[in-house]
Amino acid sequence: MSAARWLIGGLGVVLGAYGAWLALTRQDAGQLVEIAVWLAAGVVLHDVVVAGVVLAVVALARRVLPEPWHAPATLGLVVWGGVTLMAVPVLGRFGARPDNPTLLDRPYLGAWAALTVASVLVVAVAGLVRARRGTGA
Amino acid sequence: MRAPHPDDFSSRLRSPAVAARVGVWLGVSFVLCFLTGLVSHWAQLPSPAIPFPTGPVWGYRATQGLHVVSGCAAVPLLLVKLWAVYPRLFERVDLRAGRQAALVGLERASIGVLVASAVFQLTTGLANAAQWYPWREFSFRTAHYALAWVAIGALVLHVAVKLPVVRAALAADVDDTALDRPGAQEAGAVSRRVLLRGTWAAAGVAVLATAGGTVPWLRRVSVLAVRTGEGPGGVPINKTAAAAGVLATATDPGWALDVRVDGAVAARLTLADLRALPQHTVDLPIACVEGWSAQGRWSGVRVRDVLAAAGAAGGTDVAVTSLQGRGPFIRTVLPAAFADDERSLLALDLAGEPLDLDHGFPCRVIAPNRPGVLQTKWVASLEVTT
Repeated sequence: MSAARWLIGGLGVVLGAYGAWLALTRQDAGQLVEIAVWLAAGVVLHDVVVAGVVLAVVALARRVLPEPWHAPATLGLVVWGGVTLMAVPVLGRFGARPDNPTLLDRPYLGAWAALTVASVLVVAVAGLVRARRGTGA
Repeated sequence: MRAPHPDDFSSRLRSPAVAARVGVWLGVSFVLCFLTGLVSHWAQLPSPAIPFPTGPVWGYRATQGLHVVSGCAAVPLLLVKLWAVYPRLFERVDLRAGRQAALVGLERASIGVLVASAVFQLTTGLANAAQWYPWREFSFRTAHYALAWVAIGALVLHVAVKLPVVRAALAADVDDTALDRPGAQEAGAVSRRVLLRGTWAAAGVAVLATAGGTVPWLRRVSVLAVRTGEGPGGVPINKTAAAAGVLATATDPGWALDVRVDGAVAARLTLADLRALPQHTVDLPIACVEGWSAQGRWSGVRVRDVLAAAGAAGGTDVAVTSLQGRGPFIRTVLPAAFADDERSLLALDLAGEPLDLDHGFPCRVIAPNRPGVLQTKWVASLEVTT
């Protein structure tokens, strides 16, 4: 490994260690345990739940959808899936307060439903066009 | 059932070529988030060694809007990045290889820290922007700040480890298979180029769907923004008077602003007294740490005029106390440069109307280039120490 890479790697360790020191010195034991649980849960949530669901959806789509639909469906999943996960807090309106109508004041489920319908339509149209043209593999 | 093996993932899309390209943009968004987060932390320090600047007036609005928008863009980027490298999670480590195994183990651990902290930062940040706190114990601010350093440190270390692969992947054509895993032999449903375009599109949609919280002309497009930007006087409310527990004290006809100099009350100004002082109007944004912002036309008295009316000289920090009984921001410090700035007001009006109770009636601080949490509402007293 070159000297520059050792230097960059060392810098990364120092930055990360500073963050760990900040966390350890500014939170009590109960708070640190909860942070650790959240950190571990994030990895499990991605590596088991999200990755697992994606694998299952892709396996199912391969069986169910005709070949010309695979490409549009893949792109649809990337765009729709990414945006849907990002929108979970507003879709659930978990932070809404009855006394504050200016917070979370949009029809999020409607917007998400419209985004979902639009994604399905675009995938369907692209799939049909590709099937008619015979652009399979 | 056996544990998965990297060769079980046969798609050529799960490649260093894709991971490196998505990784570059994910890195850009994380660095943007980190730097803008540092700016926000600096802006909230009570007395920073290097004073926070009072201009440009839209500075904090821009950096904090960028913070939240780049965080939203990072979600699809992180998902695709992790998808591309997922098979490596199942690589076996040969424990008999000694030093080599130790190095691989360390690298695995650093990746674990990177993934855990990245997911933590994005989930807690998105939840906070929607004022959702599903955790019981830890402080969002403290944990998000500390883990930001952990995430950026793990990212820098990751870049150092992967630099040769990243450089080789970026130098080669996107369809080049020289760096691929031997098991990745199957063509994907789309080409690598198309998958990358889809990823950029996903990040773009995430930005467009949320940026309207801070970019007014995107408001109609940003259907997933936490706020429309509407509210009394065209400005949303973060915390209502009811939630702050000030309904009775803020509407009390006997309310008066205490101006204390060196601990002693130097002046008590009623609302009529404040209205009798010279009135000024400024156009200033209110920009929340949660990323949303809105422009307002505020009228009221200059902070420096109020202090002068109490016989206090300028040039010192001003402690501002709110009527709120509890909470982390009941007492804030307006640094000297902000207190002296002619655009810093104790606002009495917004958009030509008396301040709404939820906007801080009878008076609130509005100063240029400041985080919203420090623009204290329902002001009870100003205090200077000479």
